[in-house]
Amino acid sequence: MLFFILKRLLVTFLVVAVTSVIAFLLVHMSGDPAAAMAGEGASASDIAAVRELFGFDRPLILQYLDWIGRLLQGDFGRSYYLRMDVVDVLAEHVPVTATLGVLALTFALALSIPLGVLAALRPNTVIDRISLWLAVAGQALPSFLFALGLMYLFGVYLRWLPISGDSTWAHFIMPSVALGYYATPAIMRLTRSGMLDVMQADHVRTARAYGLTPWRVVVRHGLRHAIVPVVSLAAVQLGFMLGGSIVIETIFSLKGIGHLAWESIQRADIEVIQAILLLIAVAYAILTLVADLLNAALDPRIRIS
Amino acid sequence: MPPVTHAPPLQIAVSPTRVAVGRALRHGSFWVGGLIILVILLAAIFAPWLTPYDPSIQDLGQRFVAPVWAEDGSWAHPLGTDGLGRDYLTRLLFGARISLMIGFLTILISGTIGTAMGVAAGYWGGWVDLVVNFIITIRLTLPVVLVALVVVALIGSSLSLLVMVIGLLLWDRFAIVMRSATQQLASREYITSARTIGSSTTRILIREIMPNIMGPLIVVASIELAHAILLEAALSFLGLGVQPPNVSWGLMVAEAKSQLLFRPWMIAVPGAALVLLIFAINLVGDALRDVTTPEGKA
Repeated sequence: MLFFILKRLLVTFLVVAVTSVIAFLLVHMSGDPAAAMAGEGASASDIAAVRELFGFDRPLILQYLDWIGRLLQGDFGRSYYLRMDVVDVLAEHVPVTATLGVLALTFALALSIPLGVLAALRPNTVIDRISLWLAVAGQALPSFLFALGLMYLFGVYLRWLPISGDSTWAHFIMPSVALGYYATPAIMRLTRSGMLDVMQADHVRTARAYGLTPWRVVVRHGLRHAIVPVVSLAAVQLGFMLGGSIVIETIFSLKGIGHLAWESIQRADIEVIQAILLLIAVAYAILTLVADLLNAALDPRIRIS
Repeated sequence: MPPVTHAPPLQIAVSPTRVAVGRALRHGSFWVGGLIILVILLAAIFAPWLTPYDPSIQDLGQRFVAPVWAEDGSWAHPLGTDGLGRDYLTRLLFGARISLMIGFLTILISGTIGTAMGVAAGYWGGWVDLVVNFIITIRLTLPVVLVALVVVALIGSSLSLLVMVIGLLLWDRFAIVMRSATQQLASREYITSARTIGSSTTRILIREIMPNIMGPLIVVASIELAHAILLEAALSFLGLGVQPPNVSWGLMVAEAKSQLLFRPWMIAVPGAALVLLIFAINLVGDALRDVTTPEGKA
């Protein structure tokens, strides 16, 4: 187990290291950052001044090492547009995205696990079909359309929910549904197949023969086993959601990391952009690491092979 | 001695491709999905001949003309016009061109990259496999929408850049599926036999491996086609994908966003077109998965 953990930690470290290089190069090699920051219609001398002021005239490798060196000391650089330290900007926006992610995942689990269990208990019935069609329909519906649809129905037509902002809990309902919905098909399918397998197992038959209530058999003896792989899938899906929240946050004007990224991209605020790229990548790498370790802890077969 | 059963020789002679094609033609969702895609494809190809209007010429005297189902609508503009007086049906038809073109060109790029990496990892294994796996992990760690937005915004949006960026981002599923498909073949007897009689690696990869992973390859291609079209729509929706004067369905939704309150159909029309196209591609993809899976393994 120790060897397994060390191996996974090493891989995660390498992934984060390479990702930091990619995040840096993406921002510095896609065009001229100085020209982008100087804005349209800037003169050549303006651009040269910006280049020198921010040190873009130094070799890339030096700039990268400088960036990483400062990162390791907790200095994420400075937003030239907001005139704030990037750390403070991030601290302002991270809680919103974290709340959105957790709520979206909660919604996804609350919808997909019961549906997956029901579909497995009654395979090839109406419930099974409905949950299958929900997944098929969901795959064809772009998230921004789903979000706009929700907005129209609950925000404009029924006027039940606020359509923009993040000041109250009610503001998070539609964004969480719109974001979490896309994690449901995968979780549902995994729950369904896990339940189908475990309900055939001997210990479930024994539990039934003991005369336990169906509820107890399903939850205590069935779901408890079927849920193991779902735990790690949920962690990975949460990582996907953090990366995908940019569309949802932009639509609902939720001032999270995704919204900040979109704004920063438009004003070429490169220190913020590269910090967000790295932050989301690190969050994803850590979540997959946690998923793998959880899997290994819950299922001994994985850490042996 | 067990009784000898004689299989009819004709059935053995039928090639897997013929079997798959035959099954596809008897598959309901293949027909439905295929027909929808065909209609959209024809509409995209013949768009300039199907409509008298130009998708980007503005007519400010004809702003927000109501669609034909509204009381004051007319057949002159069946879907009405947008805020700049451009015929909405015309934009819808021309939008299909961009969506399909970006989708197909993208999977050409991502399919080539992903298949090359996956087949190499599956065939050689060892350190090649390790390296490919690491690259796949890196790719999965990068948030697709964000990376695409950053590159497009900093370099400056153009259709060819959009295709390149999406193609370079969406190869991961190709690589993962092709890797495991090749792994399953690599230890088969006929591959060993081919090697024994002195076939070159190139010959084995092209003549023995490739034909036998075409099934999963086509299925992944259909999934990724839908994925690429959705990503283009999302980028265009965020204002950093397809740029005017080009039209795309995602861009149409973005432009109509401010009309959510008064003219929701302006979002619903390009939205429905997008959903229909993706749905049809998924239907065909599911059908292809059914017909390319060997008998009894479905």
